Amino acid sequence: MRHSPSTAKFNAFLFALTALLFYVGCGRTGAPTGEAGDRRSFTDGLGRAVSITPNPQRIISLAPNVTEILFALGLESRVVGVTGYCDFPEAAKAKDKVGDTLQPNLEKIVSLKPDLVVVSTASQLENLTRRLDQLAIPVYVTNPRAVREVAASIRSLGEVTGTSERALGLAGQMETRIDAVERRVGGLARPRVLYVLQTGPLITAGRNTFINDLINIAGGKSISGDETADYPQFSRETVVARAPEVIVAPSSHGAEFVKESDLRRDFGTTPAIRSNRIVWVTPDLVDRPGPRIVEGLEQLAEGLHPR
Amino acid sequence: MKVETLIEQDPNQSPGGPSKSYLTRRRALIVISALLLALLGFAVAALNLGSERVASGSLFPALISKLTGTVSPLSREQDVIIFSLRLPRIALAIGVGAALAIAGAAFQALLRNPLADPYVLGVSGGAALGSITAIIFASELSYSVSYIRPLFGFAGAAIVTLVVYRLGRREDDPAHLILAGVVMSTFLSSVIVLMTAMADNVKLRNITLWLLGDLSSGAVEGLFFVIGAAAVGATVLVTQSRALNLMMIGERDAFAMGVETARVRWAVHLTASLLTGAAVSAGGAIGYVGLVTPHLVRLAAGSDNRLVIPASAIGGALMVLIADTIARTALAPRELPTGAITALIGAPVFVYLLLKSRK
Repeated sequence: MRHSPSTAKFNAFLFALTALLFYVGCGRTGAPTGEAGDRRSFTDGLGRAVSITPNPQRIISLAPNVTEILFALGLESRVVGVTGYCDFPEAAKAKDKVGDTLQPNLEKIVSLKPDLVVVSTASQLENLTRRLDQLAIPVYVTNPRAVREVAASIRSLGEVTGTSERALGLAGQMETRIDAVERRVGGLARPRVLYVLQTGPLITAGRNTFINDLINIAGGKSISGDETADYPQFSRETVVARAPEVIVAPSSHGAEFVKESDLRRDFGTTPAIRSNRIVWVTPDLVDRPGPRIVEGLEQLAEGLHPR
Repeated sequence: MKVETLIEQDPNQSPGGPSKSYLTRRRALIVISALLLALLGFAVAALNLGSERVASGSLFPALISKLTGTVSPLSREQDVIIFSLRLPRIALAIGVGAALAIAGAAFQALLRNPLADPYVLGVSGGAALGSITAIIFASELSYSVSYIRPLFGFAGAAIVTLVVYRLGRREDDPAHLILAGVVMSTFLSSVIVLMTAMADNVKLRNITLWLLGDLSSGAVEGLFFVIGAAAVGATVLVTQSRALNLMMIGERDAFAMGVETARVRWAVHLTASLLTGAAVSAGGAIGYVGLVTPHLVRLAAGSDNRLVIPASAIGGALMVLIADTIARTALAPRELPTGAITALIGAPVFVYLLLKSRK
């Protein structure tokens, strides 16, 4: 799919653009270093080469986890746009909205004149990335696929935004806390865990999800941990047969999507319900691959292995 | 419109022989008991199939022990799997399938239109919209969703039926009604899309999955509601089936022959929307059952509504049961949306019927 005709067309366009820039650059030889010359090239989370001005001053975040990272790096004053889902920290809510994570408003993004747009693969915005590339707006994509990769993605964002020192400190702290959790649960027996995203239909988390990684690090073993789909609709019969010892579910989203009564009715024979071990985790802490994911990890570890 | 496929007055036209057009008690009995037998067979098979294997030899003894209160040969987990998860789900599939197929048969007969079904008329859309409203605003209501959902579903179906009926009512011209229904269902699906676009992420996922049909949450309330609705609906419609037969020739003629056409129309409309509301709120929007099943029944057993309505009930139950068994076993322990499977089965069957009726 990557080698579609539109990609070819796009490559031709890029080539033309590069040629044009080169021409403009040549025309300016001898002049004091222009903007184009100042740009540095970075490789983003998808392996794309992105050329970005050092210390970008007008940053747009297209994902809540990215917003949290940028604010944690002290970039609050340089963030000019966020999504409607960016609700942490509190100050993020006051920023200009460029639409929601699933459907950002391209015109709004352009009108904010960003010198950097940061996208997270969690929000599946590949098409938008392409459009922004065509408009010559630098797009940096972060792509953390595991808990420890979040720290790495923070370091890279630190480099891109010229806040390396702070990023190294933050990432280091996160890694220390992850290590501490691993040390604490290391020798303990790993309980079988059912993670419930919703009941009706029952949705759980598969192998390649953050939540599965979190459960592993927190010293548990997900009963749906070998599913290849990320968020499969899962058989209740299999849950009963695999007898989870702990049931983990995100706490209230406003409406009850995980109904405790459903869990108790259907899974009454499982050790988890018989010993009353339903662990409620804060969704924003376990769902967002940002600085607070370690808090989610600690919450989960506390639930799986209470002190 | 292919009214003639519904009426089939000329015995020579039906390939199954001339007897098909004249319903005898014996033939009705044969058709119904054959379908019931098939349903029973598939239900037993479905009870044996699932993501977890339970030795099929122990199922019958387990059932006996359940009834007599003796020690079950099943472990506690197996007992839960068979009697608390699999059996209610099979019952729900049967109830939802029966309700949808009866509603489809009733709408097709009443409107003398082979394309009429709860979906085309927008009744399913109304039920879905009602149920989605219940899902989204459930937290603000003090009752549990499982009770609210069927009520909202029925209310949505009934309101849409009334609106479509008012908009499209023309003496002896079913086309207007279908047109009103099509407009209504397009409008409703836009409203649903708009509502899902405005709901937050998690709610969105819930609604989209539920819209594709979900029989897995064997909430007992929904189960009783839909089975009760199917039983009441089938009874009401069977009592109206003689009148429906006459009205299929034309409402004026039926009126001249002493049928209270207005009363029959209302009774059939309301019953069919109750059935749709119950089915959609209990099992999500499962498509093609209401459209395809009555056609298959007519093809096999003629178009006398006294037989078409009960036979469609059993046929629809069979179709949803088979689809749901595939949905929960094909990729086990992953499950598929049941509505996707009914469409996968139903669409080719429908195309086959269309091609066949052209010859």
